[in-house]
Amino acid sequence: MMSLVGVMVLALIMGFIINRGVGLLTWDLLIGDYHPTTYNLSLPTTESLGGFARPNDLDESAFFSQMWGLGLMDDVDFEGKAVVRVIYVDAQSPLQMMRDKNNLERVVGLFPGLALEKVIFSDLTIGLSRTKAENFIILFDTHEGINDLLAVSSGNGIRGAIITTGLLIGFALMIALPIGIFSAVYLHEFAPKNNAFIHTMRKMIDTLSGVPSIVYGLMGAAVFIPFTSRISKAEGGNLFSGALTLAVMVLPIIISATIDALRAVPDDYRKASLALGANHTQTTFRIVIKSAVPGIMSAVLLSVGRMIGESAALIYAVGTAIKDHIILTEKSASLAVFIWSVMAGEVPNFELACSVAIIIMMVVLFINVLIKLVARRFALLP
Amino acid sequence: MNTFDVRELVLTYDGKAALQHVSMNIIPKQVTALIGPSGCGKSSLLRCLNRMNDLIDGCNVEGEILFHGENIYAKNYNVYELRTKVGMVFQKPSPFPMSIFDNVAYGPRCQGINDKKTLENIVKKALVDAALYDEVKERLKESAMALSGGQQQRLSIARTIAMQPEVILMDEPTSALDPIATGKIEELIFDLKKHYTIVIVTHNMQQAARISDYTAFFLMGNLVEFNTTEQIFRQPTQAKTEEYITGRFG
Amino acid sequence: MIVKIEPEANRRTQKSKRFIWMKHSDSFMKGLLMVPTLMSASFVIFIVGFISRKGIAPFLPSVYGSERVNAFSFLSGTTWFVPPNVYGILFIVINTLYIVALSTLISVPLSVASALFVTRILPKKLQGVFKSIIELLAAIPSVIYGVFGLGIIAKSVVRLAELFHAQTAGGISTLTTIIVLAIMIYPTITMMSVAAISAVDPALEHHSLALGATKVQTMTKVTLASAKPGIFTGIILGVGRALGEATAVSMVAGNAGSGPSLMLFSTTRTLTSTMLLGLKETSGMDYDIRFSVGLVLIGVIFVSNFILAHFKKKVGRFS
Repeated sequence: MMSLVGVMVLALIMGFIINRGVGLLTWDLLIGDYHPTTYNLSLPTTESLGGFARPNDLDESAFFSQMWGLGLMDDVDFEGKAVVRVIYVDAQSPLQMMRDKNNLERVVGLFPGLALEKVIFSDLTIGLSRTKAENFIILFDTHEGINDLLAVSSGNGIRGAIITTGLLIGFALMIALPIGIFSAVYLHEFAPKNNAFIHTMRKMIDTLSGVPSIVYGLMGAAVFIPFTSRISKAEGGNLFSGALTLAVMVLPIIISATIDALRAVPDDYRKASLALGANHTQTTFRIVIKSAVPGIMSAVLLSVGRMIGESAALIYAVGTAIKDHIILTEKSASLAVFIWSVMAGEVPNFELACSVAIIIMMVVLFINVLIKLVARRFALLP
Repeated sequence: MNTFDVRELVLTYDGKAALQHVSMNIIPKQVTALIGPSGCGKSSLLRCLNRMNDLIDGCNVEGEILFHGENIYAKNYNVYELRTKVGMVFQKPSPFPMSIFDNVAYGPRCQGINDKKTLENIVKKALVDAALYDEVKERLKESAMALSGGQQQRLSIARTIAMQPEVILMDEPTSALDPIATGKIEELIFDLKKHYTIVIVTHNMQQAARISDYTAFFLMGNLVEFNTTEQIFRQPTQAKTEEYITGRFG
Repeated sequence: MIVKIEPEANRRTQKSKRFIWMKHSDSFMKGLLMVPTLMSASFVIFIVGFISRKGIAPFLPSVYGSERVNAFSFLSGTTWFVPPNVYGILFIVINTLYIVALSTLISVPLSVASALFVTRILPKKLQGVFKSIIELLAAIPSVIYGVFGLGIIAKSVVRLAELFHAQTAGGISTLTTIIVLAIMIYPTITMMSVAAISAVDPALEHHSLALGATKVQTMTKVTLASAKPGIFTGIILGVGRALGEATAVSMVAGNAGSGPSLMLFSTTRTLTSTMLLGLKETSGMDYDIRFSVGLVLIGVIFVSNFILAHFKKKVGRFS
């Protein structure tokens, strides 16, 4: 009975994050901005008013203006505040011809998804976000001109976090893989055996694997932030300092997995190669490393799995600010830090945190399966 | 002139003696068989001839081995040059996990030969000489791992002769093979003798009698008797040799 | 004749040059590959060195002048922050050790029982499934455990507290932290225990059974006794993970200003939560003092590792 604990806990965690998070999991979440954008629009000329038909597939609880070809619905934003959401704008609607107030040359049509903040009609009647959708439609239907329209996009997308995570992992691997693989090759293929100095180096690398991630974060803040600030225009945490920190963090993983892979290469290969007059370098790089590639693959997978979930180290080495437009020399939140950020507010956003958690868990699960597959194929080799 | 002159060779592993004051010579373009029970030192001697023992930790060599009059254990002797001239075929066939072509071309490539035409000629000639070409000519680009055990061993031989060595050392090359594959390898050794000096370690007395010109019998790290194969098998001078070849121990 | 020999001799020197090059390229490669290895090994020194440098700064008059923190009151204090510059960490160390000890106490019996069940009772096929589940549990990022802890465990702790007519700050409490940590180190200890028990020679158990011992006696007296060192390694790893765990703990531990908080339903503060919570500025005393906390954390991990390793030697005496 007791051993079911593991199964139960896993089921509970997965059930929880899926239950809370799956509702938000849409394509828009993946590609959307996190920060809402405010649109300040005006409509200088009004043509072709009236005569719009309510589309059949419009939600029943939505309200429709026949004059403007506009569908509105009562909704709540991610903080639970009531908003009036635009859910339909007819292709012929004059609202498609609205202009950016700050740049009247620019046409910015009203589009579904925006929440209406404030609308000032031609006779200066004002509709506010607390006005219900039904009343808003009445206001629209009784006015023929709009002076001013303030609308907000919904935000809460994680595109920035996904890009940040990808960049961090990519850069970190670019740094850690060569260092890690060559260290492993040195330790397993070139280093003298039974040597106290080599033994000490291995001990030190092993110690690295027991270092908690927050301590890596402190190191990132104490070493890599000053370092990257000196060589780039970064001031404070940035993606390079984060990638360097992650690289050091996964180094022991890569080294030990690569050593395991090298150990699994049959000694016969080395002997046969040397007997053919190849030197040590040729034997190592043309035969041994080639045969160890599947093992090195799982080293990569293991470290990606570790990095995608990493939060504590990155909070220090990069920062917690969620960004939509990534600049390499500035702070930005990875997926895991994104969860931390949305949970750290006054009102924790469980739904958003859980939907990001689902994404991370899917990647982790995928990586786990992939490692198993690689291991199975690897075992088939002689 | 002898190919090898082994003089007062003492080999120790971690201080334990594996060969004691062995002296013998290897005659060019002949097959020399090293026989004796397990642990008698015959494989150790073989591995000394192209310094594969260097790879074993705690292995120490005293005495000298002259290859064309030059001591291969001298300080400045280049071991890579030695191994291109003294090739080795192991007990277990161990093709590299790459194509048949790449397996054979591996050694020449390591010597810096990268010209495609030259490599193709070398590979073809080596495979023909190893009596494997006809069986694999259609699938040179396929993995060598798919070959049968006997084919893999002939591939190992092809890989070795692609280096155009003078000497081929063979460490029980047929012990992992069935009788038919063994027969093919033995035939091959007979052909190779025309061009190469061959030293073979074998457990199989009949094999030694069939294919070798000279035989050396080892026992517990000592060279008991070394003579022409005919002499050894007909009229051994030592009682121990006779006991061994007649199968009374071993 | 001479003309004929020359190209041959030339070819020979070229060839022997190549062999010399092959020899040198090995030594060169050996030296070259040593560079990344030295780098990898030196990071430990980097970590301790740089964190020390930054962590000691708050106590130095040369850096903070009269604003500096008194090192003694830092190490013996029971209030985290009294403006402007009094920081006390002793109660935080006590909280941390208390929480880690209790979570280990919960996790170890569960892990060992699971490991015994899996290796000795479960059919081979299901063993693989169970191991995959444990591996997956170990791979769940700590921030997700934090969300789970806040969403499920904290809520349950609120209900539990109501039964005892106790107050909790929305479930953020010592008990929640203990449970979250116990769950997080369960896979670590279980994996090591499974490995240790699988390595026990079945013949040993057959001998015990043949001597008339029951299956349960055999398991507890023979199997576990021989697997003890391996299980202990798991405990050491688990304790290390629990001590260093930051994100999940910060999400459920709370932000108690003083302590120690030994009451299960009260909020608490651990070394790692102190480092993570309220991190805003990236300079100044409030930032630098976190490195001092980090330094204390490294010290605590080092000492506890040392003590546990000593214990391991004792329990492993006979096996």
